[in-house]
Amino acid sequence: MLEYALLGGLLYGLYYGLVGLGLNLVFGVMRIVNLAHGDFLMLGAFGTIWLYGLLHLSPLGTIFIALAVFVALGVPLYYLLVPRLLRAKDPEMLSLLLFFGLSQVIEAIATIVFGPSEQSIPGRALGAGPIHILGQGFPAAWVVSAATSVVAVLAVYVYLYRTRLGYLTRAVMVHREEALASGIDVNRVSAIAFGVGLALAAIAGVFAPFMLGGVTPTMGVELIVQAFVVIVIGSLGNPLGTVLGGIVYGVSLMFMQTYFSSWADLLPYVLLIVILLARPSGLLGRQVRSA
Amino acid sequence: MGHTYDNPINVSFRSLRLFRPRKSDWLLESAFLEETMLRKLAFGLLASASALLAAASYAAQAPSELKIGTLYATSGPFASTSMQQYDGVKFWVDEMNARGGVYVKPYHKKVPIRLIAYDDQSNTATAATLYDQLITQDKVNILISDSTSVLTSVAVPIARNHKMLLIDVTGGGTPFFSKDNPYIVLTAIPVTSLWPKYIVDFLATDGAKLGIRSVAMLYDTNDFTGTEAQAVRNSLKALRSPLKLVYDHGVPTQTSSYTVIINNIRATHPDAVIEFGFPNNDIAYLRALQENGVTFNWQFANFLGIDPVPIKKAVGVQGLKDLYSYVPPSLLAHNPNFGLTLAQYQTAWDHKYANDKVPFGHASVGGYMTGLVLQKALARTQSMEQLALRKAIFSLSGKLRTLDGAFSLNAEGAQVGELLPLGQIRLTANNGMKFAVVYPHAIATGKAIYPAK
Repeated sequence: MLEYALLGGLLYGLYYGLVGLGLNLVFGVMRIVNLAHGDFLMLGAFGTIWLYGLLHLSPLGTIFIALAVFVALGVPLYYLLVPRLLRAKDPEMLSLLLFFGLSQVIEAIATIVFGPSEQSIPGRALGAGPIHILGQGFPAAWVVSAATSVVAVLAVYVYLYRTRLGYLTRAVMVHREEALASGIDVNRVSAIAFGVGLALAAIAGVFAPFMLGGVTPTMGVELIVQAFVVIVIGSLGNPLGTVLGGIVYGVSLMFMQTYFSSWADLLPYVLLIVILLARPSGLLGRQVRSA
Repeated sequence: MGHTYDNPINVSFRSLRLFRPRKSDWLLESAFLEETMLRKLAFGLLASASALLAAASYAAQAPSELKIGTLYATSGPFASTSMQQYDGVKFWVDEMNARGGVYVKPYHKKVPIRLIAYDDQSNTATAATLYDQLITQDKVNILISDSTSVLTSVAVPIARNHKMLLIDVTGGGTPFFSKDNPYIVLTAIPVTSLWPKYIVDFLATDGAKLGIRSVAMLYDTNDFTGTEAQAVRNSLKALRSPLKLVYDHGVPTQTSSYTVIINNIRATHPDAVIEFGFPNNDIAYLRALQENGVTFNWQFANFLGIDPVPIKKAVGVQGLKDLYSYVPPSLLAHNPNFGLTLAQYQTAWDHKYANDKVPFGHASVGGYMTGLVLQKALARTQSMEQLALRKAIFSLSGKLRTLDGAFSLNAEGAQVGELLPLGQIRLTANNGMKFAVVYPHAIATGKAIYPAK
């Protein structure tokens, strides 16, 4: 049971790394908290269900559609909301309010469009039967989503550390005003990062019907708490920290389910308190400052 | 809450009883009788006139509308059942209003119904505030709780504190009902402690014959499913059953990942597995079984019969083969002595909510059936006082049969009427499915298939 919980937690945690990755990127670049992150994930999930029902499109194919659609959606949404927000005295606090409002609007519209009931896609859409790792069988969806998470993290690293756009993005992450003074088109760089953040949420949403069993229009609220915990554990603004945070969360959750199942829902909050008390900058906190 | 209206006719007839003939000789008696008769006639006319005037006066005091307050959840884990229940109540309200209102005996007339409803988003804190608002601000005449024990739990103390009768449709939590609280009555479902009766009876009798020796039980740690789990433990103890409970663990209602839990259950090698969850849990659990390639010989899923449409859609019919669940009145036709039959109601529901995204389910029956109970009770209540309404509802116990089955209350106001039979899924042509009732034997329509294939 111990070995299974450990391996299961690792796979599940990698998925939660993907859930938190976009939220962390947006916070790292813009220093704003996108509380509607979970709702964009939900939209990605319903988009996947819709495309599967309509065209029997494989969820793996939907990843590329989600990437294109949500980057395209994110860029104008950035220009609509964020520059005005950043001109305020306390943009971080105001972002909480603004994106909470956006979250409520998205949920309300999604409830009208999709209805309140749970929806999902048959598990076989991501492969039939369990996949065995070290002698332990896990759902194919867990393995595929964990692998996708690893690919997504690598892609974010290539974007940040191997491209000119990433170089500029890191400059904005370190000091927005200095980047602006040095002639960087901060808004353009930030808008793309915002779009990528939303796309990462939507990609995590592609796997949500498989990882969470079913999806509802209001699932975003709970997910944002878990995503926030994941990035706080790892460290705010650090993609690698998000993966580490996801793994810590996933493994802890599976151990809780094995040994103290009734208390499992307390885990995110307990982890949050422990990390904030013991290491407020997160497990990889130093890397944030040198990013 | 509510107003008291004495019956003016009763008062007038009571006053006539003062004029009785006295014992005297026959002449005097005859004269007296004539005089008495005249006086009786005169007073009778006066009394009748006053009664009519009083009745007219009271009828004029009848409100322009009867306010029924309730909550619903368009989102969250209870949205599915909540919206079904709300649509069921609304169905009845619309039906009554189309006929000019519901007949209310204390007013001697039909009164249009105004349904005041708020969205609690499956949140108990929000629900508590809104229940309070319905009572204190909207001053509703009748309070109906939202679906499930979780969303009803917060209404119970609020209603009691305000001396407001809580019409509890599907909140069967056993702790809600006590001798010292007359302000609650359960209408549509049996009290939760009775739900698993046929599961345990089956496992202890038929199950033992089939070779079931050990049981694993997984439940959500909330009022409803927690009570179901406790009822199983109590029943096994009471029956002195040799069945061994090899796994007995609770999980939070929000649980969506079951892979590790299923592996833990499998490690205990149970012959039968009982899963008490809400639809979201059932979906995630059953999908995890399927995706992990795990089949238990005997598997019970809580809401599979109660809310089959979304579960079937999310899990797929193959993942439901040979599973057990309750067979609620939404799947089992009863012979009502009041209101629509199940077939009539479902046809009317499908017509009315053709474009709605809420599927027909057990709570749809519960909402409508609660309307029928109110309709009967309002037609016979002596006043609109809350306890008078309670008395009127209690007077229906054992006499009323709706599409929901027998309506029967115990002294605490808990529903003890139709219990939920145990059914097993049978797959049918074109990816369809139906339930075979396997227990109790008196109404069985099929035999249990064990082990599941």
